[in-house]
Amino acid sequence: MHWIALQPQPEAQPPDGLAGLADVWSALGWWALQFTPRVARLDDAVLLEVSASERLWGGRARLRHLLLESNQAPALIQHAEGATSLIAKARLLPGLSHTPAPELPLTALAAASPHLATLAALGCTRWGQLRALPRAGVARRFGAPLLQALDQACGQGPDRYPWLLLPEVFEASLELAAQVETAPALLFGARRLLEQLQLWLQLRQRAVLALVLCWTMDARRDTATQGELLLRCAEPTLDTVHLQRLLAEHLARITLPAPALSLQLRTVETLPRGGHTASLLPEAQRPGDSLHQLLERLGARLGPAQLLQLQPQADHRPERMQRWQPVSNATVLIANEPNAARAGALNHSQDQALYPSWLLATPQRLAVRQGHPHYPDRLTLLAGPQRLEAGWWDAEPSALRDYYVARSSVSGLLWVYRERLDHPQVEAGLAPRWYLHGVFG
Amino acid sequence: MAPSLPQTLAALGDAVWSADTLGGAPGATLASGYAALDAVLPGAGWPLDALSELLQPPGFHAEWRLLLPALVRLQQASPGALVLVGPPHVPFGPALQAQGLAVQRLLWLQVSEPQARLWATEQALRCAGVLAVLAWLPQVRAEQLRRLQLAAQTHGKPLFALRPAQAQAESSPAVLRLLLAPWPDSPLVQAQAQTQAQAQGADDLCLHVLKRRGPPLLLPLLLPARQGRLSAWLALGAKAVEGDGHALDRLTAAA
Repeated sequence: MHWIALQPQPEAQPPDGLAGLADVWSALGWWALQFTPRVARLDDAVLLEVSASERLWGGRARLRHLLLESNQAPALIQHAEGATSLIAKARLLPGLSHTPAPELPLTALAAASPHLATLAALGCTRWGQLRALPRAGVARRFGAPLLQALDQACGQGPDRYPWLLLPEVFEASLELAAQVETAPALLFGARRLLEQLQLWLQLRQRAVLALVLCWTMDARRDTATQGELLLRCAEPTLDTVHLQRLLAEHLARITLPAPALSLQLRTVETLPRGGHTASLLPEAQRPGDSLHQLLERLGARLGPAQLLQLQPQADHRPERMQRWQPVSNATVLIANEPNAARAGALNHSQDQALYPSWLLATPQRLAVRQGHPHYPDRLTLLAGPQRLEAGWWDAEPSALRDYYVARSSVSGLLWVYRERLDHPQVEAGLAPRWYLHGVFG
Repeated sequence: MAPSLPQTLAALGDAVWSADTLGGAPGATLASGYAALDAVLPGAGWPLDALSELLQPPGFHAEWRLLLPALVRLQQASPGALVLVGPPHVPFGPALQAQGLAVQRLLWLQVSEPQARLWATEQALRCAGVLAVLAWLPQVRAEQLRRLQLAAQTHGKPLFALRPAQAQAESSPAVLRLLLAPWPDSPLVQAQAQTQAQAQGADDLCLHVLKRRGPPLLLPLLLPARQGRLSAWLALGAKAVEGDGHALDRLTAAA
């Protein structure tokens, strides 16, 4: 048996750029699980039993090198080794890293702490001195637990622990150091939880698709005590920076009814992580965010309904030939299909070349003086009419229009139409109305 | 004997730029598709990694006409979305597609507040999946434009800012500023432009180069009427409006 004890350094600053982990011990335990399946937490140390997996890593020295240098732990750690778990743990104390077991002080044995004063009065301060005392007397005077702990520490009793497991679902909570009044300020705590999430995702080989951030609020105010925010990504991600930005956008729109006291982060949906597709050529990988990330960030601040994508429709009325709808298929936006584009351009009726590149969302009524449309002064009709009669199958009034290309001295070429009147309207003596519907941009 | 000035200049090569010649563009450029325009632009085209400003009087729009040939070529060359930030009207897909643009790759960001427009523009410039950004920025300050110019430069994306014509008096960090206007009816300007081309159609575009890397261009540039079926229709249609014929039928016959 060979044990390694790890302990996060208490007042160590987190490395630059990292917010620090929400729960260092479980993070350290999860990280240690990649070296051996036998990882346990004992008080403030994480214990690894490595005798079974040493060969896999190429020997004890290689494993030590891996632990301490090449595969950096998520926090700054102290490290000690020993033949039993308690020896390894006792050697974490400063200055004891190579002390033989009988020389270790009794202060390093947790089971002896209630009896330290009595033992010191007996002149007994080292593990070896305590072992030299008669067992029956020690059991009678200090109780069986001390003797059991001593046996375990010296390798004469079994080292049994509830082994740590990497949870199936990530769930971590964080007590906030101070009450947080505004939602954006929750981000700092959430960043620490996200760091931990990233570690979990890396070790589980998964990418997150949806997660929930919950917060508990002060119950003294007569408001809800729980709040939560569901964050859903378009594609599974492992990128904490992206998640952070997304979270910041969402939190900026939330107002807290009462100060928040604690935070909790939970994954709702994760997917196994696909490999990263790397290009052979360095230039092919263009720097910057992916389009999915852009769309998510824009959607979070502007609202998903404000990001529009074109959907062509079959209709003769210009306002119904296309529909701009919220982006649903982002791959179409990037896809480069020159053949498809060319074929599409040819397929369309040639008359489409006569359409203007801008369409007014609602046709604008034009002033008519002496039978001529004005915008703002008299329009010169250059071409037309192009007659349109469509929509009679709909409930709303059908479109009976004559389209003209007109020129305005200030606005260039315009697309205007004159509403054709049906028979009763003509009889009633109505004058035809003119509308501006497009601009040749 | 000391070498003469031209010899010295020739020896120095590109290190010295004489103020009466057009500067070369430091970055890549993309041909605009108009020979007359390319001739006056540094690097013979739109800058691909910088901010270009197009100023237009209110109600007048010529941006698609000016940019479409270059945008179509850009789309064919590389994948990516074309982002429109806060356009003034609805982009009409069928018409743009008929001119060769892959309209399914347009991303329209419906934003109205000036701050949101700037933010969205900058975010779009940062994205690797974006090809080019067209941003309508009616209210923007020079330092905000500077930020956008830096973003465009850092991320190597062409950014076209469309601004009102009143902005021509303000200073701007854009490397290229153009003022677009319909061809004026005043005979003075027409007489000035006689040397370039003959103004003829109702559809001619008058282009002032306000700023470029090179000597200032004093005379406005005339871009001829757009080609293709529209101009053919205009030529035929003028008669049709006067008489009472079917211009489209005759257009089909002529085509």
